[in-house]
Amino acid sequence: MTAVTAVTDHTSGQEPTEPTGTGASASCERSVADSGRDNSATRDGSSTTGDGTSTGPGPGTGPGPGTGTSTRSWARSATRAPTSDDSAAPAGGKRPRRSRAGRRASARDGAAEQGAAEKNAPETPNGSVDDRTTEPSTTKSRATKSRATKTGTTKSDATKTRTTETGATKKASDRRHARAENVGSDAAEGRSWDDGLIARRVGDPPDNTGHARVEPFDQHRHDAHRDGAPHSSAYDPELRARLDALRELVGLSRARLDGQTLAEAGRVLDQAAARRGLSDRHTVVAIAGATGSGKSTLFNALAGVAISDTGVRRPTTAAPIACSWTDGAAGLLDRLAIPGRLRRRPLQHSSQGPVLDGLVLVDLPDHDSAAVEHRQHVDRILTVVDAVIWVVDPEKYADAVLHERYLRPMAGHAEVSLVVLNQTDRLPGDAAHQVLDDLRRLLDEDGIALGEHGEPGATVLSLSALTGDGVGELREVLGQFVAERGAAARRISADLDAAAARLRPVYAAGRRVGLSERAREEFSDRLADAVGAAAAGQAAERAWRRNAGKACGTPWLRLWRWYEDQRFPLLRAKPSPTPPADEQATARQRVEQAARTVGDEAAAGLPAPWAQSVKDAAARGAQGLPEELDELALTAAYPARRPPRPGWWPLAVLAQASMTLLQIVGGVWLLGQVIGFFPPNLGSPVLLMIAGIVGGPGVEWACRMAARGPARRYGIEAERKLREAAAACGRAQVLDPVAAELLRYREVREQYVRVTGAVAAGPTVAMGSLGAAGSLRSAGSGGSAGGREADPHDRVTELSTTGR
Amino acid sequence: MVTLDVRPQLLDALSALRDRVASARFPLPLTGAPRARANRDELLAQLDDYLVPRLRQPEAPLLVVIGGSTGAGKSTLVNSLVGRQVSEAGVLRPTTRTPVLVCNPEDHHWFAGLRVLPELTRVWMPDHADQSARPERRSGRGERRPGAERGERVLRIETAATLPRGLALLDAPDIDSLVARNRELAAELMCAADIWVMVTTAARYADAVPWHLLRTAKEYDATLVSVLDRVPHQVLADVSRQYGALLTKAGLGEVPRFTIPELPESAGGGGLLPATAVAPLREWLTHRVQDPAAGAHAMSRTAAGLLTSLDSRMPELAGAVSAQYAAALRLTAAVDEAYEREHARVRGRLQAGGVLAGTALSRWRSYPLDCSAGELLDAIVESLAALLLCSVSAAGQRIDERWSREPAAAARELAERDADREGAEHRIGLEARRWSRVLEEYVEDEVRGQENPPDAEVVTALLVTALLGGRRARTAGEALAERIGAHGALKLRDRGGRLLTECVEKVLRAERHRRLAPLAALDIQPEPQAELIAALSVLKKER
Repeated sequence: MTAVTAVTDHTSGQEPTEPTGTGASASCERSVADSGRDNSATRDGSSTTGDGTSTGPGPGTGPGPGTGTSTRSWARSATRAPTSDDSAAPAGGKRPRRSRAGRRASARDGAAEQGAAEKNAPETPNGSVDDRTTEPSTTKSRATKSRATKTGTTKSDATKTRTTETGATKKASDRRHARAENVGSDAAEGRSWDDGLIARRVGDPPDNTGHARVEPFDQHRHDAHRDGAPHSSAYDPELRARLDALRELVGLSRARLDGQTLAEAGRVLDQAAARRGLSDRHTVVAIAGATGSGKSTLFNALAGVAISDTGVRRPTTAAPIACSWTDGAAGLLDRLAIPGRLRRRPLQHSSQGPVLDGLVLVDLPDHDSAAVEHRQHVDRILTVVDAVIWVVDPEKYADAVLHERYLRPMAGHAEVSLVVLNQTDRLPGDAAHQVLDDLRRLLDEDGIALGEHGEPGATVLSLSALTGDGVGELREVLGQFVAERGAAARRISADLDAAAARLRPVYAAGRRVGLSERAREEFSDRLADAVGAAAAGQAAERAWRRNAGKACGTPWLRLWRWYEDQRFPLLRAKPSPTPPADEQATARQRVEQAARTVGDEAAAGLPAPWAQSVKDAAARGAQGLPEELDELALTAAYPARRPPRPGWWPLAVLAQASMTLLQIVGGVWLLGQVIGFFPPNLGSPVLLMIAGIVGGPGVEWACRMAARGPARRYGIEAERKLREAAAACGRAQVLDPVAAELLRYREVREQYVRVTGAVAAGPTVAMGSLGAAGSLRSAGSGGSAGGREADPHDRVTELSTTGR
Repeated sequence: MVTLDVRPQLLDALSALRDRVASARFPLPLTGAPRARANRDELLAQLDDYLVPRLRQPEAPLLVVIGGSTGAGKSTLVNSLVGRQVSEAGVLRPTTRTPVLVCNPEDHHWFAGLRVLPELTRVWMPDHADQSARPERRSGRGERRPGAERGERVLRIETAATLPRGLALLDAPDIDSLVARNRELAAELMCAADIWVMVTTAARYADAVPWHLLRTAKEYDATLVSVLDRVPHQVLADVSRQYGALLTKAGLGEVPRFTIPELPESAGGGGLLPATAVAPLREWLTHRVQDPAAGAHAMSRTAAGLLTSLDSRMPELAGAVSAQYAAALRLTAAVDEAYEREHARVRGRLQAGGVLAGTALSRWRSYPLDCSAGELLDAIVESLAALLLCSVSAAGQRIDERWSREPAAAARELAERDADREGAEHRIGLEARRWSRVLEEYVEDEVRGQENPPDAEVVTALLVTALLGGRRARTAGEALAERIGAHGALKLRDRGGRLLTECVEKVLRAERHRRLAPLAALDIQPEPQAELIAALSVLKKER
């Protein structure tokens, strides 16, 4: 019970105004409310809800005093105004920076305050840390001093590490992706065994949010090469960039995707922000497992004192109990909603093993007993801790609940997971090894990377909490793990991977996206069809030729036609009357069909929400289009009612006239000879007449030949004019909006690629770099379990063909 | 005491009901469908593996199925009851993957045949001890197989003289390990049991999964025995008391409860527990066999419980069937509605002369000076086909939209629709051209008798224009009347109009049928629901 007292003292010493709840805490509350409002301005309701649940305990989750404390201290850690005013100069000096961040946040529209804080962080990677923790004021100055000395070295260390890390980080991210992708599919499968009936109908099916919420993890020594230097900045730039990308992605997609789809992403962002605002000197590790596996016994063994009740009664532990090795974890525990009476301290002078400074251990209830509320506790806390120790025992290590409901969905969190086979004392002889090997096999089948041979992944240990056999090794691993202080960031990173994997279906396209040139041309053709461009052109060409024929034809032919018309008036078609202005000259059905076709083609392969928006854009564009085309047909189709007359027509007419004249002259001459008026001379008049008779049609034929080219050109010109006008109209109304939608999608997808971390976040994403990252990735994933390699590779291929 | 009056009528009613259940299908992926399917399978398993054989042959041995969580010590328990190692025990989970049935050699014939669990292939391992004593072993279907081949479900049959006659023990796989096949098989084996023996342990007695199974047993009112295994002897009394309290709380207080302490033998190596540890259970089971009344009680309680459970399970199944039918109706209604709408729209467009637009209009404007009758006719027919195609694809889009909100439409058969826009275009174009050809024949008939007959193609073109051009083609009608006379023109227009309506209806109907074909292939009818309920009521009357 001394432990409890210590925690309480520490809390009150830190917040003297607590009992009265005046000025300071009131202003804190307000600022929390403000940040909440900022969030809701940029996020939709669902993510705000997520915010609420993650930042403070809901009513009734703890006893009154506990709840009050947690809310207040959260508020304090979020704003820190009251304490930092009183504190030493370095802390005070931070305030201007804070408010600058605030200004920037309000200046940039759309960025949540948390986002601004996040973005701002790079400026003060080392400095801001201590400030965030709710340090007792008595230790504050000491902490400040030590920070000052640390700052210089850490900075250079950090830069050095960053450069050497690049390769390793990439590899690690490959692995992450391979795993993250499994998460989705496994989560889907996970539900199938729970389908009811005798053995299968086990308890409540994990609901959607249920398995989504399960993601614990843990980490460890693979980055021992960071030479043990305390890593003071919680999130490295890559992770920050990915979080920023995710935030932007959520903003970009809100109009297209429903809140439910984005809720998970919003939750990850909230968790990231919330965790970031809390102490990064602490690592919160939960002990999870089935009932009777010995969680509490292990907890006590690690703490060195019997804190948690152990017993034979199943289920034993009903509520989570926390044990903090160092001070300043109040904010973290508030976030876990663990009431003050369940916060303990370990045996202070425990001399055994390495120091576990910074460790906050949480003993969870079981996840598999008939008590449903225990499972709810577990599910809730697993989403907010930094790492998890899974305790299994020889009897239950192959339980479906453990593997399908928890381990598989959190396969991506392997680096922040420890799996411990407890109760080895119950196994005879070398059976422990057999069981451990079998456990490793099962974990591997779950897709969990095992931390063997120095690779990152889950550590698997066997021990007996009862006899203490193997507990030392666990302490060692934990000590190293806690000293690295990377668990929180890795947890968030794994969360991010899981969220990205889950969002993949709504962002990744099955094929190359875009409107092909062929589709555009087909669309124009259809529109031209709708306004009848080809037929109009043909009609214009024929009209031109008809006119030419009329102008240059022999008069006899014209006379004959006229006579025919007179004789059979019925057959003479009247020219159609000029179309009235209100006529619907455009074929509506063709326009509609054209827009639908082009929309479908543009949307092919897109994820459903984006495909829908593309189709909608096309359909919207098609609505006013026929009317516009009607107008256009009136203006463009008949600009000049009469075809122009080329310059050679008079000449042709003259030639035709002279041929007719020749015929007449020859005829008259002959007639004159017949009646004896002219001397008989058959040759000349006959020649003249023949010349006229042959020449007339000859001229007409020549004219027709000559008219062909110009008529054709005239017709083509008329068609082209109409077609181009229609195409321009269609482009503006349909193609451009569709292309804009596609562009929006592409933008979102690039953002998504950035979220997955496939590419170093930069202002521009060059396709070349995508390809490069892809090859690296597929090379890196070669080591992971077979069958998974193909998938990341495919994805990269697809992504690298995205842009045009 | 529950007694069962087994009459042929009851058996008939039962097998009729069984057939109805077997023919119930749930092809649409509604939310309740997977559960209904599993329910159907389970019910079928209970009918086939237990109820029907049991009612036919009440004298058959009692089948005791030992079920429970992985690692609870089921195999060790069976071995100890039998007195020798018949089922392999071990520390690796899940241990038992092949169910093992142990019975007295005299009872072997009951299980060697396919009386119960017909879908499991029988396998047996020769037993060195009584090899010579068991000549009938070679009968039946049990050829020896070296282990269970992958994918094949087998049942290993062992005989042991130590078991009393009329008692058979079945060591089932676990109900909760991550080998899904085990869980399914265990559920199926449970269905065949006269007596359910639920084994749990000190570490597990609060687990959700076994409790679920216990509740199921209670629901079916099966004869149940509960064994609390592997209890460390220090806490034996404590744990046993708590478990008893939990059972009482769940309404299972009267269930016979046996506690077996954790002994070094139960941990590993597959050793047998001392006879004293399992003696109470053994005695209890033996008593069921030796006392005819007790045996009949255990047997008839399970059977009657199962029959009673039909009262609630059959309506559930029927409900799922009718939900399927309702969903199918909704899907059909969406299709019908979309096509109705499009049909109305097409009629409107036809009346407004929407066909005479675009290319067709250009042709009509330049006719007859710059355009031949044939070209005009082609353009108009093509325009008609475009109108029909447009409405068909609009209907398709509308249906897609409506179906996307229906979970039932996610069925694989419905989802993989061939995107045959070209196909539809081709079919519709064909239909439109056929219409114009028939019209041309009418015209030829009409003009044949006239002296000085006008060109049939010209008349057809004018007729088509007049039919499809609405107000804007008034002059076409006049020209038509001038050529073949007002009477003939009227007659032609009447016939042509009727033909047009038919053609449009035909096209839309054909396309709608194509759309509905996959759904129709699923053959979801309302009758099975009524049949299920009817079979149940017949059974009730016979009981």
